[in-house]
Amino acid sequence: MAEVFKRLSSRAVALSLGTLLLVAACSTGGTNGTQGASATDVTVWTAWGGAELKAFKDVLAPFQSSTGIKVHITTNRDSTNQIANGIAAGTDLPDIAPGPTDPTQVKSWVSKGALKSVETALGDQFNTYIQGTYTALTSAPGGATDDPYIGIIGGKHYELMVKTQVKGLLWYNKKVFTGTAPKTFDELLAINPAQYGANRLFCAGFESGAASGWPASDQIDNIIMRQSGDQVYTNWIQGKQKFTSPEIKLGYQTFLKEVSDQAVFGGRNTALSTNFGKAGDPMFKSPAGCLFLEQATFITSFFQQDFPSLNLKAGTDFDFIAHPSMGNSQYDGNVNGFYDNFSMYNDTPAARKLMQYMATKDAQQIWANDGGTLGAIKDLTYTDPIFKNAAAVAGTAKNLLVTAGDFMPSDMQKAFWQSLLNVTRDPSSLDAQLKHLDQVQAASYTTS
Amino acid sequence: MDQIITAVVAVVGVPLVLLGYIILGERVLERLSDSLQKWIRPYFWALPAIGFATVFMVYPLLRTVVISFRNSDDTEWIGLANYNYFFTFPDTLTALRNSLLWLVFYTAISVALGLIIAILLDRVKYESIAKIAIFLPVPISAVAASIIWKFMFDYQPPGTPQTGTLNAILGLFGRDPVAWLVNSTTNNAALIFVGIWTITGFCMVIISASLKAISSEVLEAARIDGANEFRIVQLVITPLLWPTITVVGTTMIINALKTFDIVYVMTNGAYDTDVIATRMFSQLQSAHYGRAAAVGVVLFIAIVPLLIVNIRRFQQQEEQR
Amino acid sequence: MSAEQVTTRRESAVGAGVSALDRLGYRLQRLPLHLVIIILCAIWIVPTIGMVINSFRGLQDMSQAGWWTVLFPPHGFTLDSYKQVLQIEGVAPSILYSVLITIPATVIQLAIATMGAYAFAWMRFPGRNLFFIVIVGLMVVPIQMTLIPVLQIFKAIHLSGTIPAVWLAHSGYGLPFEVFLLRNYLGGLPREIFESAEVDGAGHSVRFLRIAVPMTIPAIASLTIFVFLGIWNDLLVALTFLGVSPFRPFTVVITGLVTSFGGGWQFLTAAAVLQMSLPLAVFIFLQRYFVRGITSGSVKG
Repeated sequence: MAEVFKRLSSRAVALSLGTLLLVAACSTGGTNGTQGASATDVTVWTAWGGAELKAFKDVLAPFQSSTGIKVHITTNRDSTNQIANGIAAGTDLPDIAPGPTDPTQVKSWVSKGALKSVETALGDQFNTYIQGTYTALTSAPGGATDDPYIGIIGGKHYELMVKTQVKGLLWYNKKVFTGTAPKTFDELLAINPAQYGANRLFCAGFESGAASGWPASDQIDNIIMRQSGDQVYTNWIQGKQKFTSPEIKLGYQTFLKEVSDQAVFGGRNTALSTNFGKAGDPMFKSPAGCLFLEQATFITSFFQQDFPSLNLKAGTDFDFIAHPSMGNSQYDGNVNGFYDNFSMYNDTPAARKLMQYMATKDAQQIWANDGGTLGAIKDLTYTDPIFKNAAAVAGTAKNLLVTAGDFMPSDMQKAFWQSLLNVTRDPSSLDAQLKHLDQVQAASYTTS
Repeated sequence: MDQIITAVVAVVGVPLVLLGYIILGERVLERLSDSLQKWIRPYFWALPAIGFATVFMVYPLLRTVVISFRNSDDTEWIGLANYNYFFTFPDTLTALRNSLLWLVFYTAISVALGLIIAILLDRVKYESIAKIAIFLPVPISAVAASIIWKFMFDYQPPGTPQTGTLNAILGLFGRDPVAWLVNSTTNNAALIFVGIWTITGFCMVIISASLKAISSEVLEAARIDGANEFRIVQLVITPLLWPTITVVGTTMIINALKTFDIVYVMTNGAYDTDVIATRMFSQLQSAHYGRAAAVGVVLFIAIVPLLIVNIRRFQQQEEQR
Repeated sequence: MSAEQVTTRRESAVGAGVSALDRLGYRLQRLPLHLVIIILCAIWIVPTIGMVINSFRGLQDMSQAGWWTVLFPPHGFTLDSYKQVLQIEGVAPSILYSVLITIPATVIQLAIATMGAYAFAWMRFPGRNLFFIVIVGLMVVPIQMTLIPVLQIFKAIHLSGTIPAVWLAHSGYGLPFEVFLLRNYLGGLPREIFESAEVDGAGHSVRFLRIAVPMTIPAIASLTIFVFLGIWNDLLVALTFLGVSPFRPFTVVITGLVTSFGGGWQFLTAAAVLQMSLPLAVFIFLQRYFVRGITSGSVKG
């Protein structure tokens, strides 16, 4: 027994020591981000995956072949947090990555020198970039020196804009709605759907699993920014404008007009229970369920995939009208959208070259050609009539305002989204909901 | 690729390392004096288990209590402010109310159904197949179950063909579809029912095993005495099964209070369906650690009575050993 | 008393000199019982069947008519949903990550639990009862209580967002129940075997490795099934520790599908069926051990 034991033990000892060494070796081996502080390599972090990532690689291909610089892409959905940790700990940062969405973080990172300015990165090319890109993306509203939402601090830019999307568009079936586009919201509400053979004026679908309510928040965002202006809107995102304030309350009341039982197909319950991707389906059935669906540019692929047999074509079968004015012409230039940007965190020759490249028409045209998005440069060529149209909207916009909920603290965002669901379900609860939102607001923006 | 290598190394390496730990350790221990050996050995063997439990449960438990009294930056003590927030915020009060609903109905109904189904199935020949049917939802994840029932609860405008099974059935009886997950009167019940659906099989299997252990003479004697089936269930079976029912019930209560997946996937607490676990997660996501901790502590306090019961039961078992 | 015994006894009592009509009456009396059982079974099976059927239908069909319409032509079966969902970015890798998370975590915790259970079962030491009570007590602690500090621990040792972090977390959370169960089982092994081995000069490591472990295999096997499924199906731990990491497991990705722009009902059904198929396969093939595992340890008289 003892000998068996001894043999067992020595073999076991050898094995375990070997394993320990192996484990140690493996764990010091692969690291998750390579250092590229040189003239020949650039590290890039992006949240893109799937088709978007493929498009990005298409954009980078000519750059890599002509300059010989190798771009190391890492898909990272938590880049902001990790960069924040990196800044705090003084460890390596990626050369290029999206800028942070939190305005306080933008300011803090600029002051710490973590964000390098676009002026530095682009050098001589900077003026061309500013002139060629949508004004809304590169200038602070009202000539202010700061707009942290688009990365402008102290008059300098820290975010390079590369792509953009427009929201708050009213989609319609060209074969159903043949009238003229309404210029104001009141004109829109006055349209009689029966005149075009449709059941109701609007379709809506707010369901989205754990994120239900976001389409509703897009609708109310588009109302408030045109009704009460960008100052109110921005203050509201930052928690400085109460929900019970007259402007926000007016926004809610106007929103309720869009989702009343008379206005929306299938009534309120349908709006609440339908998934956002299927919300537009009634437009393409006969008889048409509704005339308009308010959504962003990405909804087109949903129309097409829901009705493969109809072979819906952009521009011929469906198109959009820009969001009508709310009656305050001074705010008509406020457009809701989102954008993709890159910031430079390490000032290296290779990183600068990449930033310069992404700011060129050639690079962004590849993005435009791959479809599904607008570039940030004004005069790109779009073969898709939808995006040609959307480019026109973005071009005339004075301010491109972000989606409010996305820039609020997450518990505020959740309460905000769900408040829209609740008032849709029960409009009489509006005042109670707004009061509750004020409570959440007071607690949410603090750090305790 | 890296990940696969690490995983393989772990699967092979950890048992080997533990093996080495045991064998080497014993070699060392055996060179020590007898009394020293007896003293050190148990701790040596139990160290990994105790170590893990301490690091992942005991320490975090204590630390969470501490955090609940501090602000989210962890820079200052703020006393009961987080608890105050907890008890005065309408969101948390709703979550508490809903968790209570879960506690009562999820537990009571799944145990009761488990008992009833066990008894009923005991009397038919196709018991095994039926048991499999009822047990089937148990191994699937709550996420999959939530998706299954999302389809069941689907809603289409009145007058159009229904895609959700429940609304289609309503349509057969000529009634309008119901927005199950949106409507306040139905949504909590709907979610709780999904929970019940996933766990009743579990209760049934345990209770059924105990049921089979009841000696047939006892039941025969009761029948010969003229008692009808209902009385037998009431006066003979249930009392004999009571220990099992309590064990199952305790487990169900803990499950009810910990419910997260179903609510998160189906509604994320919308339309007043929030429960404690989803509230806590939402606070966690917005980095309000102090408040999240306070929610956790309240949850724990709710469970303390069960803790005591569990420990007492264990001590009784120990005495019988 | 088994069902057969009851029915044969009854039938023999009934058959003795009773007419066929009475026998029919007896069968009819049992009709409500059968009806109730059938309805219950329907409630428990139909929803799952509905979703599985839906996973084989196209999006257009699914949004226009319920799954029961496949029973009538045209049936419209398609594998498209499965093909498409596997192509969605992050889905196929997440299945791999689920495997990479589940297997090591299971192995790690069972190895540690067995060792610890052996100590608690067969070694006397001061504080044994206290430690054990604490471990048993920990079984009821909701995981939520531990999330924040454990997150901070992982951050401090640079393991945040990594798969090994989840192994450790699951092990920590699962150990109390496993130690409890295995301790009960190990404690029930016959004392004589260990004693005679000790007399033969076998040290504790030999007794553990060559006697205790082999004899505990049935319990370990059942426990493995449970632990494995528990981790495979877990959402909360994965969401908390891997929510934004590229190594998210399948459950997290499916939840994300419900909301992401790439999500659609057809993906949900296929993804859910895929996620369910492993546990169901385990259940179908390992039924006996499954049930045995649940009932052992909880039904002590």
